[in-house]
Amino acid sequence: MFIGKDMPRIDSLDKVLGRPVFAGDMIMEGMLHATILRSTRPHARILRINTAAALRLAGVVKIITVRDVPGENLFGIIKKDQPCLADGRVYHIGQPILIVVAETERTARQAVSLIAIDYDEITPVLAPSSSPDTAPPIHGESGNLLCLRTLIKGDAERALADSDVVVSNTYRTTWVDHAFLETEAGIGYVDGSGRIVIASSTQNIHYKRREVSRLLAIPEESVQMIQTTTGGGFGGKLDMTVEGYLALAVYHTRRPVLMRFSREESFLSNTKRHPLYIDYTTGARKDGSLTGVKVNIVGDTGAFISYGEVVCLRAAVHATGPYEVPHVHVESRMFYTNNPVSGAMRGFGIPQLAFAHESQMDQIAMRLGMDLLDIRVKNALRKGSLTATSQLLEHSVGLVETIRKVEPHWRAREKESDSRGFGLGCMYYGCGNTGASNPSGCHIRLTGDGRIALHLGACEIGQGSDTVLMQIMLETLGVGEKEVQLVRGDTDTSRDAGSSSASRHTYITGRAVYEASAKTRSYLEESGYYHGRSLRDVCDEASARETAVFEGFFDPPTTPVDPLTCQGVPYATYAFATHMTEVDVDRVTGECRIVKVHAAHDVGKVVNPTLAKGQVYGGVAMGIGFAVMEAFEPGKTESFDGYYIPTSMDMPDIEVYFVEDEEPTGPFGAKGVGEPALIPQAAAIVNAITDATGARPFELPVHVERLKKLIGL
Amino acid sequence: MMLPEFELINSGDKSAALSLLAGPDRIKVIAGGTDLLVRMRRGETWGRLLDVSGVPEIRTIEADASGIVIGGAVNHGEVSAHSKVLEAAPALACACSRVGSPQIRNMGTVGGNLVNASPAADTLPPLLIHRARVKLESVRGIREVNLEDFIVSPYQTSIRADELLCGVYLEPLKGYRMGYRRVAKRAAWAISRLSAAWAVREEKGVFLDVRLAIGSCTPMPFRAHAAEEFLAGREGSAAVIAEAVNMVIEGITFISGERPSYIYKLPVLRGMLENILRG
Repeated sequence: MFIGKDMPRIDSLDKVLGRPVFAGDMIMEGMLHATILRSTRPHARILRINTAAALRLAGVVKIITVRDVPGENLFGIIKKDQPCLADGRVYHIGQPILIVVAETERTARQAVSLIAIDYDEITPVLAPSSSPDTAPPIHGESGNLLCLRTLIKGDAERALADSDVVVSNTYRTTWVDHAFLETEAGIGYVDGSGRIVIASSTQNIHYKRREVSRLLAIPEESVQMIQTTTGGGFGGKLDMTVEGYLALAVYHTRRPVLMRFSREESFLSNTKRHPLYIDYTTGARKDGSLTGVKVNIVGDTGAFISYGEVVCLRAAVHATGPYEVPHVHVESRMFYTNNPVSGAMRGFGIPQLAFAHESQMDQIAMRLGMDLLDIRVKNALRKGSLTATSQLLEHSVGLVETIRKVEPHWRAREKESDSRGFGLGCMYYGCGNTGASNPSGCHIRLTGDGRIALHLGACEIGQGSDTVLMQIMLETLGVGEKEVQLVRGDTDTSRDAGSSSASRHTYITGRAVYEASAKTRSYLEESGYYHGRSLRDVCDEASARETAVFEGFFDPPTTPVDPLTCQGVPYATYAFATHMTEVDVDRVTGECRIVKVHAAHDVGKVVNPTLAKGQVYGGVAMGIGFAVMEAFEPGKTESFDGYYIPTSMDMPDIEVYFVEDEEPTGPFGAKGVGEPALIPQAAAIVNAITDATGARPFELPVHVERLKKLIGL
Repeated sequence: MMLPEFELINSGDKSAALSLLAGPDRIKVIAGGTDLLVRMRRGETWGRLLDVSGVPEIRTIEADASGIVIGGAVNHGEVSAHSKVLEAAPALACACSRVGSPQIRNMGTVGGNLVNASPAADTLPPLLIHRARVKLESVRGIREVNLEDFIVSPYQTSIRADELLCGVYLEPLKGYRMGYRRVAKRAAWAISRLSAAWAVREEKGVFLDVRLAIGSCTPMPFRAHAAEEFLAGREGSAAVIAEAVNMVIEGITFISGERPSYIYKLPVLRGMLENILRG
């Protein structure tokens, strides 16, 4: 009835009518404006802060420094290491030092420009390194290595020595900005009962409520987090952005406060995709079967951890790509530097790895004279395969089917001119957090006015989770859209559903919604709803008996991976995909046009075809940017003036194919597609460029100048 | 940074605009604002802006046998779609169609693009091949300046504070093949990294008149006079073309010396010019 159907997005009518209010446009009576003063130095001690001129400015209400933090100044999703406000020292350009609160935004920003900071500069560490000579420890006495994850399966060294063909290369990627359309923004106030309320553009309300409570040293119950209409996140709104600063400003002024970042502030402050250096060695037998891979990954987390440790782990676990490799040795390291903080971004390290492993697959095949598609089929993970973590894949392994979807187009490919090229990219991606509990909760309530309310703590950030989760409830209950309502994005009215990340809401929160819906359905069944009794009647009775709430909960079955070998079951299920891409390279200028993409995805079950396709289109766009355009240069990139992302004019024709190899633990068999949509795209472009030019890129992005140099000047 | 507060004055007709410009108060012409407002947001301060984008006398395109006159406040979108421009100055129509995005093309004007005088301005190379002259008007009178002389250095022109760029005159070109090619970091909404406009008249394999203008390479868009003179009357052989292209490259490095960006730009320009001259 609802699963597999193009139910219109719940928010689409409001959005086309311009009704939703983004946080940056909110206005409250008596509202103040807050702005952050940020470090202009990558590494320095703060000697003096002179706020005299700023305080003299009419309209400046309060300047907040680290001394005004009532609770714990440190925040962080994995570990609490990142200062809300600098405490005598700054570790990267853009690090917040103080907050100016003023009657108008203009005054606040002017005041910031009047504040003088005397720095005592410390030589910054600008590249990941374990050498204490070139990279003196940034934090404390120990070196700059944040973490090392080693994955060991079999004996890769020996397997490589025994291989018929070995290919070894180094791949490099750089910082990428999320470039969400809506910059970070929020509004905070004290409500009638004295609680601090923060409404912001975010991917994770329940986590942020905990952080605000720690920062202000007030109970969690005294904080309410509300998600405002959010214009994109891609991982960049998982960490604290405006929330802590707003909380401090509201705490000290007791007045409503608005904070919104300009695009320049967003570029300066937001976490980035981790730059990775990947040494990759692949061995194979003459028949094309992979014997072993050895991978050395070095990443730059910047000055603080954010998601650095888990990106490091996810990269190690996914390093082989979606292939069965008997012998694997991966070392994945993440280093502190004084570069921008890198964090979560769509794909969590795996788009970088896919660039490497898919380039390797093509080179192995070429050395052996094999077809590039055949070698992928030969090595593809399938039911009964063991992954690099020796996890036995028992169900929902549709990789080969995704390859088969693009195969007719691959076989029929024909170059219109010698500037054209074709490339393949495959990927697999674990849905949910890596070897860690990551539950979602939700509840369904029968309301006093005779409706079934779905209460979601999941943040709709544009990806369509509200609609998909509602479809799951509607399908399970067998009711119509008029009988239901959605209550969402508010810590007061929802259970913690974790973050909008890791391609997890359809799969994990969807399963929680299914569980709650199944209980609701039993109740409706018992109370006679399906036998003609009115919903109004049933709801009235349930409200009276206080039996009106049905909980849903799901935590995918995983095991923590072995600390020394990364062996284990890090994810309950994986998504699989294959993208085939055609490019047109201008040899004179180095311009690369992406002409056509065939994208096939095993999503377990398609809940909403249009929304699922939308994810793929967006992933292709982001993959094009990652492949041929996007490069954030610390200290240099300020805005979209110098940071290019694709426009609609750069978009190719895209054909999307879905494979539905159902996942038994997912709702109606569904898995995730949000990140998988992006992951193989850059890899496929790189392989297509190689096909078109004969020259292989080893560093992203392959922008016009780099490509021209590669082809030959 | 925030856009500073300013007073915006709608100028009415041309004479009203000119008298406001002649007045004692400091005032800056805004003719679309796609460059000026960006600069102001970055700190350039102007308390009063005179909006000339609606001045009727400079909103027209006039074309006859003696040439085309494009009003200073005609926007890029209008130029790119104008039938007379498409017919007589297709390189300019093409260049205007590649400026920014549709929104920017509908705001940004030819006059604004010229007065802004960016080395990467898309309108400049095609206007140079038409030997464009700009018409500058003030209450003191009218003067016409060759476009090549109008721009004195990057982002600097010889326009005076009381003058308005009322129009630009293009010499008609008949029997030429003309075009505009730009290289940018993406398909649209990008500053040109390199651009070239050309007008080539040839007969039986012999160049009669060649006009080449290169953008985004030198401080000011570069008209390749030496190479053009060399080509006139010569057969379009590979050797002649190669020699002419060498002359263009030499002309550019003579002006600008060696620049890091030339490692990329000059080989690309070489390839582009060879393709252009081969036809």
